[in-house]
Amino acid sequence: MSMFRAKKLDLGCFVNIRVIRDHTKRKVFAEHEPERQALRYIIRNLSLPASTRAKAQLQLTQMHCYTRPSQIRNRCIEGGKSRGVLRDFKMTRYNFRMRALAGLVPGVKKASW
Amino acid sequence: MNPLLSSTRAQLPDPALSRRQLSDSASQLPAAVDSQSNPSKHAYTPAPSHMDPDELIDVRLPRAVQAVYLRPLRRQAEYGIPSCDLQMRSYSVRNLEFFADFALRAAYYLGLPASGPVPLPRIVERWTVPRAHFIHKKSQENFERKTLRRLIQIKDGNPETVQVWLAFLMEHAYYGIGMKANVWNYEKLGVGKTMDASMEELKKDLDSKWSLIGLSRKDAVAEKVLEMIDKKTFMRGREGPKTRIDPLPLNPPTYN
Amino acid sequence: MSVPRSRLLDLMKVQCRIFSHTFNPKGLRLGNHVLRQRLKGPALAAYYPRKMATLKDLRKAYPEYEMIDEDEEDRLESLRIIKARGKGAPKKKRTAEESKKAKRR
Repeated sequence: MSMFRAKKLDLGCFVNIRVIRDHTKRKVFAEHEPERQALRYIIRNLSLPASTRAKAQLQLTQMHCYTRPSQIRNRCIEGGKSRGVLRDFKMTRYNFRMRALAGLVPGVKKASW
Repeated sequence: MNPLLSSTRAQLPDPALSRRQLSDSASQLPAAVDSQSNPSKHAYTPAPSHMDPDELIDVRLPRAVQAVYLRPLRRQAEYGIPSCDLQMRSYSVRNLEFFADFALRAAYYLGLPASGPVPLPRIVERWTVPRAHFIHKKSQENFERKTLRRLIQIKDGNPETVQVWLAFLMEHAYYGIGMKANVWNYEKLGVGKTMDASMEELKKDLDSKWSLIGLSRKDAVAEKVLEMIDKKTFMRGREGPKTRIDPLPLNPPTYN
Repeated sequence: MSVPRSRLLDLMKVQCRIFSHTFNPKGLRLGNHVLRQRLKGPALAAYYPRKMATLKDLRKAYPEYEMIDEDEEDRLESLRIIKARGKGAPKKKRTAEESKKAKRR
């Protein structure tokens, strides 16, 4: 959602709209995390009255979807792809292979054992 | 009070003492050096001011320079109480060995008894990826990354000297090497009282640190909970079951 | 020899106070595990590398030095060649309003 997006592009990696969107979601989630956790605490605390908890539930579900951690997906910083991303390098398998063969990933070599 | 646990023991000897120790140990490196680096025999003779260039070649190097060609010198730990564990990691053996050697020498000249470098088990990570960017899963390629580790332990170190040593290593950090250090400090018995006394002074500094720790007294989540429960919408539910549960719209309704 | 339950509870209470645990002898669900969780937002938000200083910024900071951006030069040169051949992109309408006005007329 464009209202969350940074006014000026603040990414240094490969950029396409999906990357920008994911980056924005991450920032929004980080901002709203305490609030979400607070609501989750109220919902899970059985000693609080039922109506309080119900309200907290309602409020949590009504928060913007960008504040949800499940919306975040690791994407490739070289090509923006979302599938086959190696977590250690934040790259898709093919990008990783090309860069590793070119010797651009520190310490990674072709293995044979 | 346990004498072993007191940190007041001076570790760094005074300059005169350290010089003596240095020369003592330097005189122990002796024969090997002489036979290798300058085969011509001499014991130390003060050089006369007028020497012809041929003789100059034969002049013995200073002991400290000779020591560079030999294995690093070490100091004996008197009590053997560990005060710092330095772990170094790298992908290349050469850099790592070189820097471990450098760290040991630095420790020696700072008067710290060091043990190591202990080669810790290396970490091997492997990845298998398809060669192609699309399908063709039958043809794959393996990659690996071996992380080599060395551990240097400082024993009986004066905490300040250990800090100096670590700062020195940081200043001369070598490329491709990561370092992490665990430092232990020992206190006299009756720590609680001294801590209580210093607590008041530390209070200002502590609050800024607490805010960085997840489980802090000023917990962001806990504060938010209090703030929310105090709000009107939640206060209404406080009385418990006798209140009617009405699906109150969170955003005030707008009338056009 | 048995210790009365109330005594044990008192002990528990003191223990919890000292180690700042939650005193919860009945094992009620108080949701405290949510409070104990670490916030993972900062780590997640740091996933993509942030923008570094570009050549443009450098130029702006030091206008007295001359800096050459080769990629940019290449792009401009190829554009010039394309335009010379008459294969360039068409001119853009200046604003949306103007184009609308032009249509109405």
